[in-house]
Amino acid sequence: MRLINQHIERDGSGTVTLYPEEPEDMWHAYNLIRIGDTLRASAVRRVVSETATGSTSSSRVHMNLTITVEKVDFDSQAGQLHTNGRVKDENKYVKVGAHHTLDLELNRNFTIGKAEWDSVSLGVVKEACDPAEKAEIGAVVLHEGLANICLITEHMTVLRQKIEVAIPRKRTGSVTAFEKSMDKFYDTIYQSILRHLPIENLKVILLASPGFLAESLQKYIFAEAVKTDNKTVMTAKPKFVTVHCSTGHVHALNEVLKSPAVIARLADTKYAKETKAMESFFKMMQTDEDRAWYGPKEVERAIEKGAVATLLVSNSLFRSNKMQERRRYVSMVEDVKASGAGEVMILSSIHESGVRLDGLGGVAAILLFPLQDLDESDEEGETDGGNEDNENL
Amino acid sequence: MQSGKTSKLAALAKARNKAKAEKVAEAASPAAGTAVSLLDRLSKKKPDPLQTTREIPPSMVSEVPNISKLEQVVENTTPDSPKNEPVQNTPSIPGPEPDALLKASPSGFAKSMFGRRIDEAFGVEEEFTDSQLTYFSIAPTQKAAIKAKQAFDVPSPDDVVIAAQSQSKGISKTGKGEKPGSSTTASIQKGVEALKVGDTSEKPAPPKIPRKKIDVVAEYEKSKSKRKENANLVVIGHVDAGKSTLMGRLLYDCGVVDERTIQKYKQEAEKIGKSSFALAWVLDQTGEERARGVTIDIAVNAFETPRGRYTILDAPGHRDFIPNMIAGAAQADFAVLVIDSSPGEFEAGFNVRGQTKEHALLVRSMGVQRIIVAVNKLDLMHWDKERFDEIKQQMSQFLTTAGFQAKNVSFIPCSGLTGDNIARKPADGLISWYSGPTLVEELETAKPVTKAIEKPLRMTIADVYRGGVTNPVTISGRIEIGNIQVGDTIIAVPGDEKATVKGIEVDNQAADWAVAGNNVQLHLANIEMEYLKIGDVICQADSPLVPLKEFEAKILAFESLTPMMIDIHRGRLNASGRITKLVATLDKGNGSVTKKKPRHIGPGSLAVVNIAVTGAPLPLEKGSKIVLRADGLTVAAGVVE
Repeated sequence: MRLINQHIERDGSGTVTLYPEEPEDMWHAYNLIRIGDTLRASAVRRVVSETATGSTSSSRVHMNLTITVEKVDFDSQAGQLHTNGRVKDENKYVKVGAHHTLDLELNRNFTIGKAEWDSVSLGVVKEACDPAEKAEIGAVVLHEGLANICLITEHMTVLRQKIEVAIPRKRTGSVTAFEKSMDKFYDTIYQSILRHLPIENLKVILLASPGFLAESLQKYIFAEAVKTDNKTVMTAKPKFVTVHCSTGHVHALNEVLKSPAVIARLADTKYAKETKAMESFFKMMQTDEDRAWYGPKEVERAIEKGAVATLLVSNSLFRSNKMQERRRYVSMVEDVKASGAGEVMILSSIHESGVRLDGLGGVAAILLFPLQDLDESDEEGETDGGNEDNENL
Repeated sequence: MQSGKTSKLAALAKARNKAKAEKVAEAASPAAGTAVSLLDRLSKKKPDPLQTTREIPPSMVSEVPNISKLEQVVENTTPDSPKNEPVQNTPSIPGPEPDALLKASPSGFAKSMFGRRIDEAFGVEEEFTDSQLTYFSIAPTQKAAIKAKQAFDVPSPDDVVIAAQSQSKGISKTGKGEKPGSSTTASIQKGVEALKVGDTSEKPAPPKIPRKKIDVVAEYEKSKSKRKENANLVVIGHVDAGKSTLMGRLLYDCGVVDERTIQKYKQEAEKIGKSSFALAWVLDQTGEERARGVTIDIAVNAFETPRGRYTILDAPGHRDFIPNMIAGAAQADFAVLVIDSSPGEFEAGFNVRGQTKEHALLVRSMGVQRIIVAVNKLDLMHWDKERFDEIKQQMSQFLTTAGFQAKNVSFIPCSGLTGDNIARKPADGLISWYSGPTLVEELETAKPVTKAIEKPLRMTIADVYRGGVTNPVTISGRIEIGNIQVGDTIIAVPGDEKATVKGIEVDNQAADWAVAGNNVQLHLANIEMEYLKIGDVICQADSPLVPLKEFEAKILAFESLTPMMIDIHRGRLNASGRITKLVATLDKGNGSVTKKKPRHIGPGSLAVVNIAVTGAPLPLEKGSKIVLRADGLTVAAGVVE
């Protein structure tokens, strides 16, 4: 993403013009555009004109439209963002108040106007426009009969394909059915990798499984590549890394990303850092319960006391449509930053680590010093907090 | 212009209809008094024409009395009505009559809508068609008729129909417009019910697979004395404790595996430099397992002793394959825990991350109460009593804390490789300090757990495969609850595809029925393999369980728990889910709530949590035993609330 123009007033209102370059930028846009914001982007609209004699003709007209956003919808599979709202500025084809669905397109400017640009939103803009080299990896997690093929980018984990194959178990006297269907299973995965992962652009392709499946799969892939003379796979041979994990479900990616083999290769990537932070939170929970807290109420109290060392927030919280709620989390982030002692990490809610954090209500904190009974002040307030958690999920 | 046309046509149609409706009204009004009795009689007669249609459709013989009775009724009630004509004609025109009888019998709805007319349709077809016309042509006519002024001179078509309808329902007995008496309605209902009985007898297509309607529970009680009880035992223990070798030895000594096979395995194993694995190859049959010398999946084998029949489930010990081990343990009546007694090995299995402990906890939490500890590889320790006692002491302590009662735990010194004290007594003086039973003798004392065989069927599919040319779809598993017999209609939850049981094999022998506790292969008909998944639960079609998307579970935590992603295991079922809410921690003694909404649940505590399933709903119900795993560790075991 490139920042084309930024115009923000003293009171925080203003507009930002951005130029998206890759599908991931749509994810950033999704995190920026709120209901109530204005959005100006190029649009195609079917215009019906009526001549004096009463006959009508319709034509497709390219134009720039400004809408007040009423609905935002992100499709992570296709990397597309659909926004919906009422037209704000009239032009010769469209009246004010007419509905329009704006689909943001790659390589076309769009302008977001907000009544209030908070630090988190500006942070998203800054992060999105960071020109640092992006590390994308492919990951296949599998166990017998189940494989998930995922693409992990800096800010997103996209499940490209889930493969479920019925594999007969070994039975006394007959293992052929089992071995045959295992071969078929490997083949399905191999074909799916070729189809869904851009092997040339990936830094690493992780094959993760319990037991020996990943190794067998790796062997199968190379054997098949040689057989079919697939140059891309053969040249990418060093990119394939086998990792151990305990299941083939998608959430095993947590385990995969924290394994030493992966950390060694990808230590400086954002998702590796996020995974590590979540891991240290859970570790703290087990070793020193009073230094790890989660839930908005509890964390808020910890912030008041200036105790937060690391604040983990899922960006799903900032997507809330309630202004008040969004402000609450923004102020939490700002308070921690202002205290000087704390570090803030905003986790992407579609990474596995973010999913884990969302399970805890979207916000968690590791404290500098132990605090007790942050949750035990008022019973009523607590139930409130619980409800909000549920909404966020 | 248009409206004029319509009105002319409509007027014509109206006039025609009016004539017909009047006819109906005429016919109906005198019949009113006897309409109910007619209905009754008709409904009683109902099965007759139905039977005849099925057996000898064109024959008129058996219909004659039916029609003559009808005729009687009609004659009695409406001597002058033109309706008589078709009735009188019928005997001379055999053609259309059976056709009318072949018609599907009216539904309850149609019955109440059309009342008598439908009944008459079975005897007098033409009359039905007429009145049907009257009824259906009313709507368009009505509109036009209003325009035609003369329409108001006579009762409107609606009135005519209502009159006809109310009469045919027997309302006119008490006069038009009055509500039908309750006794009338009751008798009509009776008639409808009688009709329905007739319907059902006709409906089911002749079933391909006859259900013998065996009283399985009674049969089971009868055969109890004749049969040897079958018991499932799961073999568990740390990796490389010698589980497969021990079981291979047991099968060999019990004569299940012949000498030649063992010799073959020995030669092949020696070739790849793993001669000591020869016995394990009896159970480890896939190439991968043999090449690596590790059991990956459960191997199922059966053997028989003079006193009992046993099915062995040889579980993998490697921690990666615990899901497979859970699948085996879920089918077990009791467990054989194999322990490597050689120096350092016992300790390795017994430490925090060793599988000796994890397995023992798992089988206990899945309901296994009886455990036999086989202290293996004692030959390497020169049958050292001290080592045996040391292991025995440590293990008893642990097993007691894990929830096994002392009387249900026994210790057997043995060696899988040499075969001492497994099926045969060790040579004299080899284990001078031991005079107890051999492993097999100890097994014989273990009794299978009694199961609820009267309850609705539940069976988790352990495997789906092609059972041969004649049985394209076969599933196997152990019946957990209930009973099943050939011809039963079953359903695989969470799917909703029905199948018929074509054949049952209990312990590889064909049977007509099976009950809880049996290891069965079910040959199915009327279903494709794609609809059956390993881990699905088989139920009777009339009492299926309702799959759950979210549920509450009472769990015993083995590790620290927060709201987090987990794997849910139940037998072969392995699904991903999430703990959404920690509801409360409970007191272990009396089950009372110690803390509501805890932030996290510490290891060893009892708690109630909410779990949401990530994918499709799971076939779980109240009382299902589940195991929760995360990051390769068993984090909790519990019961669905």
